[in-house]
Amino acid sequence: MGVVLSLALMRSMRRTLLLGIALGAFLFLVGLSYSSVDENQIRSLVESLPPALQAFVKGSDIASPSGYLGSTFIHPITLSIMAATAIAGGAASARDVETGVAELMLSRPLRRTAWLGAELIAMLVQVTVVAVMGLVGALIAITTVDALAPVSAGSLFLTALPLWLLFAGIGAVTALAASLSRTGAKAIGWGTAFALVAYALDYLAQVWGVAEPLGPLSVMHWYRPASILGQGTVPGSTWAVLIGVALVAGALALAITSRREVAP
Amino acid sequence: MGAVAAIRASGLGKSYGSGPPALADVDLEVEPGERLGFLGPNGAGKTTFIRCALGILRPTTGSVEVLGHDVATDRLAALAQVGYVPGDLGMIRQVSGRRMLDALARLHPRPPVLRDRLLTALDLSQADLGKRIRDYSTGMRQKLGLVAALQHDPPVIILDEPTAGLDPVMQARFLQVLDERAREGRTVFFSSHVLGEVDELCDRVAMVRGGRLLLVRDVDELRRARMRTVEVLFDGDVDPATYRVDGMGDVRVEGHVHHFTLSGDPGPLLTGLGPLSPRDITIEAARLEDVFRSLYLGDGD
Repeated sequence: MGVVLSLALMRSMRRTLLLGIALGAFLFLVGLSYSSVDENQIRSLVESLPPALQAFVKGSDIASPSGYLGSTFIHPITLSIMAATAIAGGAASARDVETGVAELMLSRPLRRTAWLGAELIAMLVQVTVVAVMGLVGALIAITTVDALAPVSAGSLFLTALPLWLLFAGIGAVTALAASLSRTGAKAIGWGTAFALVAYALDYLAQVWGVAEPLGPLSVMHWYRPASILGQGTVPGSTWAVLIGVALVAGALALAITSRREVAP
Repeated sequence: MGAVAAIRASGLGKSYGSGPPALADVDLEVEPGERLGFLGPNGAGKTTFIRCALGILRPTTGSVEVLGHDVATDRLAALAQVGYVPGDLGMIRQVSGRRMLDALARLHPRPPVLRDRLLTALDLSQADLGKRIRDYSTGMRQKLGLVAALQHDPPVIILDEPTAGLDPVMQARFLQVLDERAREGRTVFFSSHVLGEVDELCDRVAMVRGGRLLLVRDVDELRRARMRTVEVLFDGDVDPATYRVDGMGDVRVEGHVHHFTLSGDPGPLLTGLGPLSPRDITIEAARLEDVFRSLYLGDGD
């Protein structure tokens, strides 16, 4: 398993570092921009926006330090970078089947579950590296911008942890799709579709009363960074859902892979 | 059969959906130390057979054993005895050749005792190994795959069109390496449609077509059974009836040159020609290619 894991990490290292640097820089720059924010102007601007636009910040008070920084964790750029990391990592097994790497590896005395287990761990490591680099960017911001002083490093960490779990789950769902696919593109397509549908469902549930009951069906619904930053705690339901999605999808992927054929 | 076969397939079949089977009811036994050429045109089922034998594909019917280990129930023990070069060689392109070789070596329980010899034989330098695989040519990647498969000195070597991408010099060197391994008692299962290689290396051939095993024979036996083309030059007029032997056909006389075909052993013909003192005799060697062609063009049934 260690051999496959080290190979998987080595080949994804450059991509992971680039995505991590991008996320770290983005969170730092957004934090830095808070010093130029006029809280009252921002607050009145947000209140004047139609509900469809307010929903992008999940109803948080983005004029406050915690709301402002919290909104960066659900900014489309943050979500895209995390999703790219998780989906690329989750789809690795299907890409390996497609290119014949899986055939080469599994013609050695290596269990299929050990092979996929290593790919899943590699995906988790990639998501962790990118999330940590993003967290570092945000930490630098709160230590350099006086106006962000009310935000503690601990609450920032507590906000980043469910973000990591959310995308670990999306990566695991992509790995599940990969265990049913023979091409990387197909697995990436399914992983991307899952993330987009989850995002759209969460968004619709906030802006459209009819869709509101469907909100909890989206994995995104359970991640509310601004309220975590504001309250300093993560609801138990958030832990349960995010951990549950990651574990169930990962276990299903392993079960399917133990039976699957791995020829290109 | 008391002895443990290197590879034993019993009633092996593989189907996808409702189409014709990729492999149907194949019974094949490869003895330890044997060199078996596995021949067939594209799509005949060669790769499917190999993938079933390695547990990469799950057979629809039947079973395969490698040195007594059932691949369905004891895959890891079976694969611990095997070195395999796939037809579509997939490598992780972002890592160096050395790292890839090391990684593949660590996945195998047998130490890579032959690596240095193979690297020398196949002209892969330490500098080559230091490069990333994405900078390798097709031939270099293929050489790396061959070293990776054979570096453990596995008792059973399974090769799926292994010389694709190698230049003629490297092909010859690789066949020489295989010949050495076979002389050391290793089993070589050599799937190919390059008949010359199989002819040169193998003792026995198995031919497949449409997923079915057509025949399994000794190469020499096949050669002996095939028609040869013979040309005899005499000093004067000679009646072909004076030296006619069984197996002669299509006799054509052009001046002092006689052309005909001959099946079977040429010994009696040479005995018959001796007293006639021919000036020259040319007997074209029977080639495996002729057998292959005749089988696949329809007269092999």
